[in-house]
Order: sequence, then structure tokens, then C-alpha cells
Amino acid sequence: MIRLSMLQFRIQAITAAATLAAFAILLAATGPHLASTYAADGLDSCHGSSCLSPATYFTASLARSPYGVLFLLSTGIILLAPAVIGLFWGAPLIARELETGTAALAWNQSLTRTRWLAVKLAIAGLTAMAVTEALSLMQTWWAVPISQAAADGSGAGVAQSRFSQLNFATHGITPIGYAAFAFTFGVTAGALIRRTIPAMAVTLAIFAALQVAMPLWIRPNLAPADHVAIPVSGQGNFSPAQSGPGGSTFTLFAVNIPGQPGAWLLSSGPVNAAGQPVSTTPAACASIANTGGTNTGTSQATQSGSGAPATGPAGFLACLGSHGIREAITYQPASRYWRFQATETAIYLALALALAGYCFRRLSRLS
Amino acid sequence: MSAVIETSGLGKQYRRTWALRDCTLAIPEGHVVGLVGPNGAGKTTLLRLATGMLTPTRGTITVLGQRPAAGPAQLARVGFVAQDTAVYARLTVADHLRLGAWLNPGWDDNLAQQRIGQLALDPRQRAGSLSGGQRAQLALTLAMAKRPELLLLDEPVASLDPLARREFLQGLMEAVADQRLSVVLSSHLVADLERVCDYLVVLIASRVRVAGQVSDLLASHHRLSGPRRDPGTLPAGQEVITESHTDKQSSLLVRTDGPVLDPAWAVKPVSLEDLVLAYMSRAGNDTPARRQHLGVVS
Repeated sequence: MIRLSMLQFRIQAITAAATLAAFAILLAATGPHLASTYAADGLDSCHGSSCLSPATYFTASLARSPYGVLFLLSTGIILLAPAVIGLFWGAPLIARELETGTAALAWNQSLTRTRWLAVKLAIAGLTAMAVTEALSLMQTWWAVPISQAAADGSGAGVAQSRFSQLNFATHGITPIGYAAFAFTFGVTAGALIRRTIPAMAVTLAIFAALQVAMPLWIRPNLAPADHVAIPVSGQGNFSPAQSGPGGSTFTLFAVNIPGQPGAWLLSSGPVNAAGQPVSTTPAACASIANTGGTNTGTSQATQSGSGAPATGPAGFLACLGSHGIREAITYQPASRYWRFQATETAIYLALALALAGYCFRRLSRLS
Repeated sequence: MSAVIETSGLGKQYRRTWALRDCTLAIPEGHVVGLVGPNGAGKTTLLRLATGMLTPTRGTITVLGQRPAAGPAQLARVGFVAQDTAVYARLTVADHLRLGAWLNPGWDDNLAQQRIGQLALDPRQRAGSLSGGQRAQLALTLAMAKRPELLLLDEPVASLDPLARREFLQGLMEAVADQRLSVVLSSHLVADLERVCDYLVVLIASRVRVAGQVSDLLASHHRLSGPRRDPGTLPAGQEVITESHTDKQSSLLVRTDGPVLDPAWAVKPVSLEDLVLAYMSRAGNDTPARRQHLGVVS
């Protein structure tokens, strides 16, 4: 049965190998130059806070170079790989046999359907997981300079923390879980619907929905979030916006937490000294911002750190801080990264196992 | 006489419709059995239950004394060719033979190679480009070369042209002659069965209407024609299967184990096809409701 599975799997295996090879060549050809750019920008010889400036420069230059595009492209391929596998390896696995009638041929040889399915699931499923993780590892290697720049403090452009949605889903071990789940979901949908194309459509819809729901609603709750309230000043990374007549109300988002690089910010908002959420601009501050003339929508405070100017966004923030306003932040610390990776991967693997178990039960009663 | 297929109260329900209902039969071993009946009688369902591809909703079925598809050993003893004789379109003829060799411990590669040679199939040809007849032959080769004790064929010739049909049945006959093998072959084309079967089971609306060796059936059924007469006046032991009357004439198809002695009758033998059609039409007259039912179930 192993040999038959390999024989039937060869087209998919060739496609996968070709994809891996193309991906490897693309990244191997561009990786060294990306790394040398990183070094040329002075990032491999800096220490601590002195890295911030070259990291920012490096990140900004990525946006103008092909590397930014390449990063997003390779990330997209890793995100899509499980879906493609679920559609083209998973959904037809049982559905096509039923659709073409070859199930009657396959299941009347001298082996049980359970063994037939076990071998099929093992070969295609393990390949799916290996291929997806291989893509992820290659890109992780290639993107080390970009990840490093993000860790050095430049949370801009493509250089995001590893907790960011794109990075979390394409690095670490989560791609293994996604591939296992998408594949077995495709197989299950095929066994239930018994037609390949509808099974593919359902697989795509459900997998896409889960991949959206996971980072938005499920992942933030995999561990109880931490809370912190930090002082508002012109020197932190805050994103203020004013509205209402004369800027009478305002909103304020934190971009990072001082001393917690790479933390995953779930929500943030201004509170007063008593810890109550506030949205009314202190009268004194509204006029400061108005005199600065920059209270039109969102404007991010600069990182200059050369003293708080009296006007403009930085002045507005300093004024808020002097009126006792603090920023309350709900977050997951960066140190929980691997715990989150393991939990999310385990969830997807458990779902995949449950689906596979269901397929075995279903197949034993199928016509 | 032991049975290759034995069922008791066997039923299979799809959602609300019963494809097979309360079917009790025993098919003896050592025969080429023709399973005939109108479309929807439950032939395909019965054969799929016998392969274990379907599980019964009610009742029991044993094949060669075991539950169908009970394990690799039981699967090895039963060969099956499905109605559409599906093969893997992208695999070559040779791939199919390798597949058979890999998956069947009792695989007879000489037999397989010999049959492919006789059929003049190119081993390198993809199965998807074979003609319907060639595909059926390939499927039969796979089923034969695993050396089963029981071969189940579900309308394997239904979609073939007359020439391919004859070749297929001929190939089957030769193979059966060579190995000790029981065969159950379903069809609604009685003419095909007449050529190959020595045992007949007529299945109508899940019920066995008549079963027996073809020679016995032909010997015990007669067409009687003569002056008009009430069938109720026939001697005991003569069962009327069908009757038709004109003003002066009566024509009956009767079943009797003894000879027909009444000189008023002109006695003629019946063909297998007449016999089967007679039972089918009688079923229709007996139970008009069920007859309608037949058109629905498949």
C-alpha cells in the first residue's frame, strides 16, 4: 500500500519538490545580499539602544528595495501553502476515489480500508507538514536580518515583532499545525461531501475563516493577558488623535511598551489618575495642540527625544502626561512566544487528529 | 451445499428510501450465478453489501462464511468488478498490475500478464485512454488475478457494445473454466446471462422470485397454449406464472415438476429470457404498488 500511495502521490510530490526548490533558489540567491546590506548599515556592530537608528534606516530602505516585496511574497507563499495542500491533496484523497468509482477498485484489494486510509494519510499528511515547515524554516533563515532589525526596535514596515500576525503564522512551528489541519480537513470534507470541487470550496472557506478567527479572537486568549499602565510623555511611542469641536475629545494608542520589546499589544487606551478611561481632552492640552496646528487626525510622535516641544503632537502628549493621564495596556509579553506557538500548534494538531479519527470511522461505513 | 452469499432479512436504507429490503437468500457455491431483476430490484445494493462497501441497515449477510470485508484475509477471497469498471485514469495498464501485485498476497502475475497479452493491451498505455471494453477487461483481470474464491460482477457489460460484451463474457468463461471459482454476475440483460450462467436468481423488489439451476428451471417451465380455459382448473402442481387469454385461446406459462399430460395443450419449451420476463411481469401484476416503487429506487 505504501508503494501504491507513492505511485499515486508522485505528481503532488514532484510539485512540492519543485516549489521547495524554486523557493530555496530564490531565497539563497538573495539572502546573502540582504545580510550584507544589514551589516553595511552598521547593524551587526551596534549594541543596545545605538541599534535603533541604523535599524530604522535599514527598515526604511527595505521598503524601497525588492527585499520588502520578497519578504511579503515568501510570507504569502507560506501562508497559502497549507490551504493549497488542503485543497489539492486533502479534498481529493477520498472524494476523487468515490467520484470516479475507483474506490470500488481500491477497497476490494486484499487490505482493509482502515489500512488504506492510514497509509494515505500518513504519506500525504507528513509530506504536507514537512513541506510547509521547510518553507517556513528557509524564509526564517533568509529573514534573520529583518527579524533582528525588528528586535532592535524598529517596529515599522515589514520588520515587525515575531508576535505580529504574519510572522507568528509563518515562523516557528505553527505552519506544521496549519498544514496538518488543512490537509485532514480537506480529506474529511471530501469523505462527507463525496465530490472533489465542493469539498475544495468548503475546505478553503473554513480554513480561511479559521485563519482569520485565530489571531483576532482565539490566540489573544490562549493565555491570560498582562496589564500595565505607563506614563504618557512626548518620548514614548504613542499614536494620539483628536476630534470634536476644538479637539475636545481624544484617543490614544500605545505603539510599544518601554522595557518590553516585542510584546504583543492587545489593546490600549488612556486612563486618568484614578484608573478610569478618559476621552475628554484636558482644556489646557486642547489649546496646545491647536496652536501647534497638527491636530488633524492621527499623527505619531517622533522619536527625537530632544526635549518636549511646547506644541505639536509631542507637546500634546507631554501635556496629557502632566495632567496625570496614563496609558493602560493589555498585552502578552514577548517571553510567551514559544508558549503561544506550542499551544496554537497543539490546537491545530489536535483538530487534525480528531478529523483523521472521524475519517476512519466514516470510511468504515462508506459506500 | 454451502452458500457463497447468505443473507437474512437484509435491508439497506438511504435516507428515506430502501434500496434493498428484507432480502433473504442463499447463493450456492460452485456456480456461475446470474442475478437478474429489473432496475431498482436491489442487485447493485446486494453486491455492494456483499463486498462490504456498504453496511446493512438491517439483517445480516455472510460471504464465504464471514462478514464482508472483515479483514485482509476475507477481502483476499472475494473479487469485485463494479458497474462502471473504474480504473485509475492516470496510471498505466502496467501500473494497475503492479498495484494488484502489491496489494494482494495471492496475486497470480502469470495469469495477469497472460490476460493482458491476450487482450493485446499495451502495458504502457494509460488506463484513462482505454476503451470501455478494454477498461472492463483490465478491471476483470485485476479481480481475477488476485485469485478469489468468489468473483462478484455488477453489470460489468451493461455499458459495452455487443462485440466487447461477447469478448468480456468469453474471457470470463475461460477464466472460470481454468480456476475453481464461484461467480455472481448481475445483469438486467438476460441474453448475456443465458450464455454464461448455470444458476439463476431472479430478484424483484428485494425478493427472490425464483432461483435454481438454469437447466432445472428450463425443464420445469412450459408454455401451454390451447382452447380458452380457466387457469383455476389446472391440476395441482402446475403453477401459473403468466396467463393471457383471447376469446377462444389461452396461453399460459406454468411451472411444474411433472410432465404436462393434458392433450388439449400444445406444450412448448420456454427460453430463459421468457422465463425471467414472465416472473418480472407477474410481480408487476401481483403488486402494482411495489411495481411503481421499482422505478424510484435505484
